[in-house]
Amino acid sequence: MSIDTHAEHDAHGHDGGHHEPPEVVDGRQRMAIWLFISGDAITLSALLFTYLYLRGVNTGGHWMSMVGYPTVGPNGHSYAWYEAALNGSAGLPNPQVVMQAPLSAGLNWLVSILTLVSGLVVWAAEKGLRATKNAKTFSSLAWVATALVVVTMFFTLKQMHSIPAIFVAINDSQTMSYTAYASTMMVITGSGLVHLAILAFLGVGLAIRSARGAITGDKWFQARLVRLFWVWVGISGIIASAVTTTINTIH
Amino acid sequence: MTTTLEHTAAVATEGGGLARKQNFLTAMVGGVVFAWLAWYLAHHFLDASSRNYSDLVTTALTFGWIFGFWLGIGALNGPGRWLIGADHTRADDLYYAGENQGRKRYWKYCTDHKVVGVQYIVMTAVLLGAGGILAMAIRTELIVPGNHFVNQQVYNGFVAVHGMLMILALIVAVAGPWANFVVPIMCGARDMAFPRLNALSLWTLVGAAGLLLSVLAVGSLTMGWVVLAPIADQAGIGMDFFAMAIIVFTVSTTVAGINTICTVMTMRTKGMSLARLPIFVWASMIAAALGLYAFPYFSLVEAQTLMDRTVSTSFFVADGGGTGWLQANLFWLMGHPEVYVILLPAVGALFEIASVMARKPVFSFRTAIAGMTGLAGLSILVWAHHMFTTGWAPTLGGPFMLTTELISIPTGLFFLVIIGTIWRGNIWMKLPTVWLFGFIFNFIIAGITGIYLSDIPIDNQFHGTVFVTAHFHYVFVGSVLFGAIAALAFWYPKVTGRFLDETMGRISFWLVFLGVQVTFLAMFVSGFKGMPRRYSSYSMLFEHANFVTTIGAYMIMSGMLVLLGAVVRSWNHGEPSGPNPWHANSLEWMVPTPPPLENFDVLPVITEDPYNYREELVRS
Amino acid sequence: MTPKKEKLTGIYISTFIMTVLGVVIGIYGPSRLMPRSMSDNMHLSILTIVVFTVAAAPVAAGVYAVSLHALRHWTHRGDDVPAPAADQTREHPVLVTSWVLASTLLTVFLLVWGLGALSVDNGGVGRNPLVVDVTGQQWLWTFSYPGSNVQSPTLVLPEGRTVEFHITALDVTHGFWIANMGVQIDANVGTTTEIHTTPNALGTFDIRCTQFCGLNHAYMVTTGTVVTKDKFAQWLASQSTKA
Repeated sequence: MSIDTHAEHDAHGHDGGHHEPPEVVDGRQRMAIWLFISGDAITLSALLFTYLYLRGVNTGGHWMSMVGYPTVGPNGHSYAWYEAALNGSAGLPNPQVVMQAPLSAGLNWLVSILTLVSGLVVWAAEKGLRATKNAKTFSSLAWVATALVVVTMFFTLKQMHSIPAIFVAINDSQTMSYTAYASTMMVITGSGLVHLAILAFLGVGLAIRSARGAITGDKWFQARLVRLFWVWVGISGIIASAVTTTINTIH
Repeated sequence: MTTTLEHTAAVATEGGGLARKQNFLTAMVGGVVFAWLAWYLAHHFLDASSRNYSDLVTTALTFGWIFGFWLGIGALNGPGRWLIGADHTRADDLYYAGENQGRKRYWKYCTDHKVVGVQYIVMTAVLLGAGGILAMAIRTELIVPGNHFVNQQVYNGFVAVHGMLMILALIVAVAGPWANFVVPIMCGARDMAFPRLNALSLWTLVGAAGLLLSVLAVGSLTMGWVVLAPIADQAGIGMDFFAMAIIVFTVSTTVAGINTICTVMTMRTKGMSLARLPIFVWASMIAAALGLYAFPYFSLVEAQTLMDRTVSTSFFVADGGGTGWLQANLFWLMGHPEVYVILLPAVGALFEIASVMARKPVFSFRTAIAGMTGLAGLSILVWAHHMFTTGWAPTLGGPFMLTTELISIPTGLFFLVIIGTIWRGNIWMKLPTVWLFGFIFNFIIAGITGIYLSDIPIDNQFHGTVFVTAHFHYVFVGSVLFGAIAALAFWYPKVTGRFLDETMGRISFWLVFLGVQVTFLAMFVSGFKGMPRRYSSYSMLFEHANFVTTIGAYMIMSGMLVLLGAVVRSWNHGEPSGPNPWHANSLEWMVPTPPPLENFDVLPVITEDPYNYREELVRS
Repeated sequence: MTPKKEKLTGIYISTFIMTVLGVVIGIYGPSRLMPRSMSDNMHLSILTIVVFTVAAAPVAAGVYAVSLHALRHWTHRGDDVPAPAADQTREHPVLVTSWVLASTLLTVFLLVWGLGALSVDNGGVGRNPLVVDVTGQQWLWTFSYPGSNVQSPTLVLPEGRTVEFHITALDVTHGFWIANMGVQIDANVGTTTEIHTTPNALGTFDIRCTQFCGLNHAYMVTTGTVVTKDKFAQWLASQSTKA
């Protein structure tokens, strides 16, 4: 196995292509981030597909409600869970199904907006770094953005905690189960939580790296790579909130 | 010029050395230790009487496994170093590319795409072998009705695990070894766009395989590999291992897909326009893009199944308002594009082989690309043909019939390209060519029987029978596997400097080719007669056809064992081949064998595509 | 060196022979192998299979014929490295266009036939179908005839009257398939699916579960019978008195 033993650089950087200028590396990494964002967008659309599908199946248009709730499906048969609630059939002893009033979007909008704001902070920091080359300011702003993300995670956890459950009796013991609606809310907010944790990691990384000189004025585009994903997470939150709010308002 | 930071980092790397000792063994140790730790913590903090207890504990264990495995192999070193600003120096990069480490680098987190390619060959063999053993157990059970080779519960579990193992094996069979080993060189690059992500995708696959193989040890499953809801809820903890294996696997493919696309789009050498790229590179890129679209659905649907089992959500549980049809939709949104993710790299390799072995250009390069792109695009719109008999959305039957039947048009173009390439060629009958002709025979049957199934009245009769099984085995075994073996025989000399043994290869070919016809034509007969699939036993109606099918399966097994023998034996004892044994033009044949660490001393400049065959090439 | 422009009649002959073979297999194979047809659906399905096979035969034959011709006439003989082929054609727009056109026409034909068959299958249930409720569970089927309160583990149907099945499941998804009548649909938990058919022959038929439903999936098989309308009325009456 032969290895190129020539000098790595000469005065003009002619080394057979071993050392690539940072802009080339950046262009490649940006493509990767966009591809990753596309995959994440597909995941988001699958999540929203799940939400809309289960909503349509369950309700003929409205989430479960105690009052005035449609209990008969389009083919004329009662929904199975409603039958079970009424007459203890479907093989479940003593079923008690507690139906929940439609949930408001709750803290969805707050979480999404906070995330987007933290992304804008990163964007401002990146612009500042590009203009002034001051890594220390950039580092401080990265800490601010990270702090915002941590606060947002707290609200996300609060949101998840408030998702109601129903009680279903299985094999004579009362156990908790989440309705289809609650399930989709749980997975959407859970996915948001995971994304926020990644943002927190990235924010800390940006802050430390810039303080230690690994991100300098000339290497500002590293910040752009992170910003692209960060702002995307904010936008995805807005999209999810918009879809869920709209469908619950118009239908 | 060295900054203080580079100097510090260099010192840290040379002095440390712990990271440099990480390998497969430390990965396994890490995985087991953290799996146990996660299990212990979950067991300690959770209420054992809760009905989700065993699933929660098991899921925690699987998280522990993959975290520990990544930690042990060194996959987390990269993010860790990024976090604290300790970037790699050039010396680090060369070390992690395996410089001066000999055979040891194959056991480590090595970033050299050629090492990763060889590691993928090994993983493909492991997955195919494990899936193959299960296939033989299944067929042995079915050799006569009422057999008791394995008990029924065990048999039912084998069915799902065989399916999943083979699916994983085939997703990586061509793309894993060859999109890694060959594509960067074909582009004129020194390595993939993201060498560390390349190592990550391979080792993540190993971690996922560990989880999938463990399914057998923990009580397995009693449903098909599609793990439909609601029956998935009935499975024991094997289902949790299964779901996590898939979620982990999608990390591997996502990373690999991004890597392939970025490599092809940004790493081509000067003069290598897209029009001058070898067709195999196009195929790899299109397959990667399709995979990026499809696999997120897979990880989501398995995550939702896991959530139903661990935190009592009701995505697919009817009593809470969920529906199994949602699971089926999400699954098949992935499942149909996925079969083309599997097929396209094999077809791309066969285009390449047809050209080189017939000594003439790929016929209608544009048609080949149009066919592959059209196939990939249409595949996104056909998924519900797997659901014709579920009762979901009968009004959508017609539209899905339309899109599915349309797919036969781009598929047919593949035949046009291959036939056009071998037309009036000067065909060199060596091992790769032999498997190519086998592919042509099998893929016709695969495609035509697919068209039957796309027709709803026919599907009403054949869905859920072994007719379907025979159809997709003609696709996966008869077509994809033949393409994978052709690719192996074709590029084996580039990896090892030796030919794959021609005699053993031919014996293996005839055993496998004839075995495929015996096995799966007899299976079509069973399907016509009305035998449902995933049956552990069957009525006397089907006994002759099943007997013949099993005989065929043993033929395939023998052939594959001979092939394995050929691969192992030729590695060190095969006939030396030289750097360009097929006298081809693409860049991988222009570099020495084995290719040096960064492929090229000086990056080449390209002036034409690799399909100009000239006399002087023969003499070189 | 390959001979220049040798005759291709061999390809035409092989294509013809293999097409005939395929057509013969198509016409005689499926109906002999498949379960005895006992409904119009089944008859139409078998006919569709025959039509598709006959349509596919020349395509397969053509590809195989060219491959055989290549193996016989276009392979390099000798141990030396083959020279570049005399024919280095890269493009042939007329061929590509014709191929795309031909495959599109074939696809359209198959699609039109398929959609036609589908609409015939979905066609009217008539004014007075016999409604049978089917319930699948691990691992047996139960049939009930609403309007007569009859529940039975075996399915008895009258000849010549359209039967509409309402199908559901109790535990997991099962596949309800009457192998002799060409109808199949899943039995799902929490919802009801429907299919209909008209038995047109007397005798026994097989019902097989086609959706993997757990341990005894392979044994979730039952038989049913088609009897005359009078016998059916008698049977129904006798079942009611038992209940």
